[in-house]
Amino acid sequence: MGNDFEPLPARVEEVVVETPTIRTFVLRPAAPVPFRAGQFLQLYVPGVGEAPFTPSSSPSEPERLEITVLRAGRVTAALHALRAGEEIGVRGPFGRGYPLARLEGREVVVVGGGVGLAPLRSLLHALFERPGFARRVSIKYGARAPGELCFRRQYADWAARPGVDFTATIDRPAEGWTGRVGLVTTLLDGMDVDPRTACALSCGPEVMLRFVARKLVDVGFPAESVFLSMNRNMSCGMGICGRCNVGSVFLCRDGPDLSYAEVRHVPYALG
Amino acid sequence: MKRIAAPALARLAAELARTHDVFVPLAAGDRLVLGRLDPAAPPAAIPWNPWRLSEPLKSIWFPPGRVLARWPRPAAPPAPPRPRALFGAKGCDLRAVSCLDRVLRDHEFRDPGWCAARESTLVVAGDCTGAADSCFCTMMGDLPHPRDLFDLCLSPLEGGFLVEAGTERGERLLAGHGDLLEEAPPGAAERRAEAREALAARVRKGNERFPVRDPFEKSVAKHEGTAIWGALAATCVECNACNIACPTCHCFLLHDLPAGEGAARLRLWDSCFHAGHARMAGGLTPRLQLTERFRNHYHHKFVSFPRNWGVTACTGCGRCVEACMGRIDKRECLHRLETRWIPSEVPAEVD
Repeated sequence: MGNDFEPLPARVEEVVVETPTIRTFVLRPAAPVPFRAGQFLQLYVPGVGEAPFTPSSSPSEPERLEITVLRAGRVTAALHALRAGEEIGVRGPFGRGYPLARLEGREVVVVGGGVGLAPLRSLLHALFERPGFARRVSIKYGARAPGELCFRRQYADWAARPGVDFTATIDRPAEGWTGRVGLVTTLLDGMDVDPRTACALSCGPEVMLRFVARKLVDVGFPAESVFLSMNRNMSCGMGICGRCNVGSVFLCRDGPDLSYAEVRHVPYALG
Repeated sequence: MKRIAAPALARLAAELARTHDVFVPLAAGDRLVLGRLDPAAPPAAIPWNPWRLSEPLKSIWFPPGRVLARWPRPAAPPAPPRPRALFGAKGCDLRAVSCLDRVLRDHEFRDPGWCAARESTLVVAGDCTGAADSCFCTMMGDLPHPRDLFDLCLSPLEGGFLVEAGTERGERLLAGHGDLLEEAPPGAAERRAEAREALAARVRKGNERFPVRDPFEKSVAKHEGTAIWGALAATCVECNACNIACPTCHCFLLHDLPAGEGAARLRLWDSCFHAGHARMAGGLTPRLQLTERFRNHYHHKFVSFPRNWGVTACTGCGRCVEACMGRIDKRECLHRLETRWIPSEVPAEVD
């Protein structure tokens, strides 16, 4: 019998500094780790602990994983101290992943906040690898300051694809920034998509998700078409350790992405 | 049906102790807990517990701390556990085992430790012959005698025990120890049924003071977001004793630490009453308030567990009632949840 609590060794191939607090780790696992966009892995720092991350790389490359990590606590601090060549562990994948099949033929709005663009990037890869699968991909991205925007070198490439547009905003004006200023929700006003048939997926801080979901419903999206990457402490990955539940749903097993319709009436679900 | 006399049962346990770790009820102060039978000095009689032990059986199969993995991965798989035999399990204990089987065995993820321990343990269960004040299995739709998941079931009768095999393993054990058995006297099965029904009636009567009619799922779910939880949790001191004593509670923490040249991963019992139970990196803590955690505990047992696993995660064993230093009685809470009783002050009987 396999041991689902035992991490698989993975070599750190490269460390990419995205922002002062965000790094992307390129991992080469001892065996390929097939995953669907939106499914997450547990990254294990030997002797320190585990933390959950959704890969930011393409699901079509299970032998080379990119994981983008914001330094926020004990395990992420240990991850940020890693150098190329060191060995860590991975477990997973866990969760359902994004509802890719439901995006076929639809206009897709992707709303990211800060490091929340990382899991969505995996979805973008999956969509870009299927030209014409989604009718349209509109990327809305917000960060507090220009220096905190992830994956900056890729925006131009994304926006140049047919049917794809990209807009970034920062919370407050900053020297040298000529783009949009304001919270990411301000990018959701006056979108040229049909909210009745479009689908939106969002990942970011809980408070952002709350306002993004409300705004999308306000502009006409059905709650069933708004998917939120819920934030909870996911540990075992199997729905059994008891800490990541939102109502009766264990996010590590049945999430982490849930529709707004599934969570809007659950007490404490969105703070 | 066969009968086994008390001294013969003790001989059976002593023989099992040659090849098994045998756990039997042992006195600890005024309580009975599980203890290991000393094969060098087997007792003349196996102590009989009239109702469930103070200790939940999960402490044997799902111990408070266990190494789950080592880093780097060891070349050889772990040695299989020494077989065990367990005396003293009651109906509510086995109901709890069926709950944990659903979580730890019967789906796509299987807990290797739980599965190995379950398979290698011979369960010698027994009818309840009395009930603690806190017993409420009948409120949970169960009965005070084992109905499944035992290898052997003992029912005290006239100085000995009626013995029933529940598995092939149990049948084989009986077949191999025919010298210890005798034919049951005529009418024994009927007298067993009468004794079982009489005790069930007694447990039902003892719980008449907590009338409930609605399904628990409905009573608990209707209070999502209401103030009643603050009233119910008024005397909770967050000691976690109810979680530790509960035979179905299984929240755990994966604790990683350096070990020798590598590292080890431990699984430790955890409690949903800890303020930091659901805390995330960065400090955001869902269920920061005790009332939210209290509600979550009931929601998990009576709403979420049935929705996820098909059964209620409360067996009515009453250990939480016994363990609570705030004198919170689950039966009373369920009754209040159904009737929406909200006190204006902390009940006077709590001193």
